[in-house]
Amino acid sequence: MTQAEIKLCSLLLQEHFGEIVEKIGTHLIKTGSQPLRVIANDTGMSLDQVKKALCVLIQHNLVTYQLQKRGFVEYEASCSRVLRILRYPRYIYTAKTLYSDMGELIVEELLLNGKMTMSAVVRKVANRLTETMEDGKTMDYGEVSNTFVRLADTHFIQRCPMAPETTETSDAPPPPVPTLAVNEKDMYVVPNLNLIGKGKRRRSFDDEDDGEHKAKRQKQDADSKEPPPDDGIYWQANIDRFHQHFRDQAIVSAVANRMDQIFRSLPAGYNIVKQILDQYLTLLADDPLEFVGKSGDSGGGMYVINLHKALATLATATQESIVQERFGSRCARIFRLLLRKKHLEQKQVEDFAMIPAKEAKDMLYKMLSENFVSLQEIPKTPDHAPSRTFYLYTVNTLSSARMLLHWCYKSVANLIERRQYETKENKRLLEKSQRVEAILASMQATGAEEVQLQEIEEMITAPERQQLENLKRNVNKIDASENQVDETIFVLESYIESTVKKL
Amino acid sequence: MSGSGKGRGRAAFTFNIEAIGFAKGETLPEVAFKPPPLFPPTDFKPVPLKMGEEEDYMLALKQEFRASMKKMPYFMQKEDENQGIEKYSKKYLQMRKESMEWTPAGGKTKKGKVATPKSNVDVLKKIEELEKKGDEEKSDEEKEKEKDKEGEEEEEEAGNEQEEYDEEEHEEENDYIASYFEDGDDFGAGSDDNMDEATY
Repeated sequence: MTQAEIKLCSLLLQEHFGEIVEKIGTHLIKTGSQPLRVIANDTGMSLDQVKKALCVLIQHNLVTYQLQKRGFVEYEASCSRVLRILRYPRYIYTAKTLYSDMGELIVEELLLNGKMTMSAVVRKVANRLTETMEDGKTMDYGEVSNTFVRLADTHFIQRCPMAPETTETSDAPPPPVPTLAVNEKDMYVVPNLNLIGKGKRRRSFDDEDDGEHKAKRQKQDADSKEPPPDDGIYWQANIDRFHQHFRDQAIVSAVANRMDQIFRSLPAGYNIVKQILDQYLTLLADDPLEFVGKSGDSGGGMYVINLHKALATLATATQESIVQERFGSRCARIFRLLLRKKHLEQKQVEDFAMIPAKEAKDMLYKMLSENFVSLQEIPKTPDHAPSRTFYLYTVNTLSSARMLLHWCYKSVANLIERRQYETKENKRLLEKSQRVEAILASMQATGAEEVQLQEIEEMITAPERQQLENLKRNVNKIDASENQVDETIFVLESYIESTVKKL
Repeated sequence: MSGSGKGRGRAAFTFNIEAIGFAKGETLPEVAFKPPPLFPPTDFKPVPLKMGEEEDYMLALKQEFRASMKKMPYFMQKEDENQGIEKYSKKYLQMRKESMEWTPAGGKTKKGKVATPKSNVDVLKKIEELEKKGDEEKSDEEKEKEKDKEGEEEEEEAGNEQEEYDEEEHEEENDYIASYFEDGDDFGAGSDDNMDEATY
C-alpha cells in the first residue's frame, strides 16, 4: 500500500462512512490484520465504536475476519476494494445500459448497503420505482424479481458467503467466529421466492385513503417484523464481472476504431457471408496490434483473442497519450520510437526521430527525470568504466504503468481534497441557500403568492448567487475529473494485474 | 605523469561525455539545488474533460450516491461540539439521528455458556430496561434486531413512524400515551409493538 493509495482510501472512507469508520479503516489498511483490542488501543477509540465501525466495514465487503491459530480473531482491510468505491457510478451506469432502470436501482441498492437479501432489494426497488411513476400506478414485484434473476444469471450479482447450518442439538459452544463459505455451484442460484406485491409510495397524497392508509401501514409494518423467507441468503454486487465487462468493452472499441474504414463498408445486420467473415478475421489476425491471433486451422480456422497483448496495448496507448499531452508531440514521437525499437542510443534517437540533437537531448532528459524512459547500461569492459559503456534509452512499460497508476491515485486524492476544501469554504453560503430552498418549498406547498416567493428568493443576493454558481460548477468539474481519472486507473490496473497473475 | 584530465583543479568526468550527447566544452544544464516548485508552469494546458450524456449521468449518479450514503445508518458521525447558538432544528435532527442509532447485534458469549436464542435475550432485556429508559430505547432495540436483516429499510420506516414516535418523545413522562386512542381499530393490536409491555 503506497502512501498515495492509503491517502485516497482514507478520503473515500471519510466521504462515504464518516470519520470514525475512516479512522479505523485507515488504521487497518496501514497495519494489516489486527485483533479487536489492538485496534481499539492503537486508534484510541472505545471498543463499542470499533465494533460498530467494523460491522459497517464488513457489511460493505471492505474488511474480512479470520480466526488465527492462537484462538483470537484478526480483521483485515482490503485497500484495493476500498479504491473500488471510486468506480461505483460506473457500475451503476453499466447496469442501467444493460438492464434499464430496474437493473440500475438493484445494483445501486446493493452497493449502498453492501449485502442485502433478495426480498429486501426487490421491495426497496419497487418502492423507489413506484415513487417515480404517475399517481395511482405501482411497480409490481414480479418485474423487479425478473430483472434480479437476470442479473444473477449473468453473474453481475452473486451470493455472499454464508454461515454453515448449525444443528440444534450441538452441545459444543459455538465457534468464536462463523466460518463463511459459499458453494461454487450455488453462487448465482436465486432462492425460490414467491414475491407478490406492489411498490408502496412513501407519502400518499390521497386524503381519503389517509385514514385506512395509516392503519394498513401499521399492519404491514407488523408483518415485516417476521423474518423474510430468504433470511440468511445475502447478495452482493460482483465487482469482477463488471471489470470483465469494462475490459471487453475497451478492447472492442479499440478494435472498432482500428477497423473503422472497413467497418463502414460492412453490410448491415449480422448476416455476414462466410468469405467476408474470413477476410475480416485474417485482417484482424494480421494486424500489427495482435489482438486476434490464429491458433490453428481446425473447423476452418481457430481464432483467439490475445487478452494480455490487448491490455498491454491499451496501457501503452494511454502512456503515449499522457506523454503527448505533457511534453508535446515531439516527445511523443521519441517515446513511440523507443517503444518500437526497444533500446536506442542518444545518437540513434536523434537520427531516427529526425529531431535536432539539442532538442532531442533536452526532451530525453525531461522524460528521464519524470521516469517515463530509463537508461540501460551495457558495459564494454568488466570494470564498467563509464567511458567505455553504452548507455541506451529504453521504455519499461510495466514500471511506467505502475508509476502512472501511482500518479492517478495521487491526482484523485488531490481532487477530492480540493473539492472538500471548496465545499468547506462556502459552507455558510450553502447552508443559507438550503434554508432558503426549504422555506420556499414549504411556502409553495401552503400556497403563497408570487410576491412573497420573490421576497424570499431575494434573500440570496446576486453576488452570492454568482458565488453559488461558481461553486457548483467547480464541484461538478472536479467530480467529473475524478470519474475520468478512474477510467485511466482501470486500464492501468488491468494491465498490471494481467502481468502479475499467471493465468 | 599524474596530471590526467583537462588540467589541475578543473572538473573532469570519468567518462566520455559525448556518450550522453553533450558536445565537448558545451555548457552543462543547471544543477538542481532545491526541490521542484509545487505548481510548476506547464507548457501544455490539460486536455478538456470529456463531455456528454454518459458523463453527465455518471456525475449525477456519483453525487446522489454520496448524498445517500451520508443519510444511511452506516454513516457514523463524530459528535460535533456545540456551535454556540443552539438551533431549534437541532432537536428534530437529533430525533432522526437517534432513531437510526444501532448497535452491533448479537453479544459475545462468555466461555462455557451456550448462546441462548437471541429473541429471548432481547425480550428479557426489554422488560428490564423499559422501566429505566424511555421510548427512545425501544426504537433503538427494534432497529438493533433488524439492522442485519433489513438495514436500509429501517430508514424509511423510521421516516414513516417518525410522526408517531415524535409525539411520544415530546411529551413529558406520564402514563398517558397520546396515540393510545387515536386509531380506535388498532387499540392494543399493533399500533406500536411495545405497547403490550407497558401495561402492568
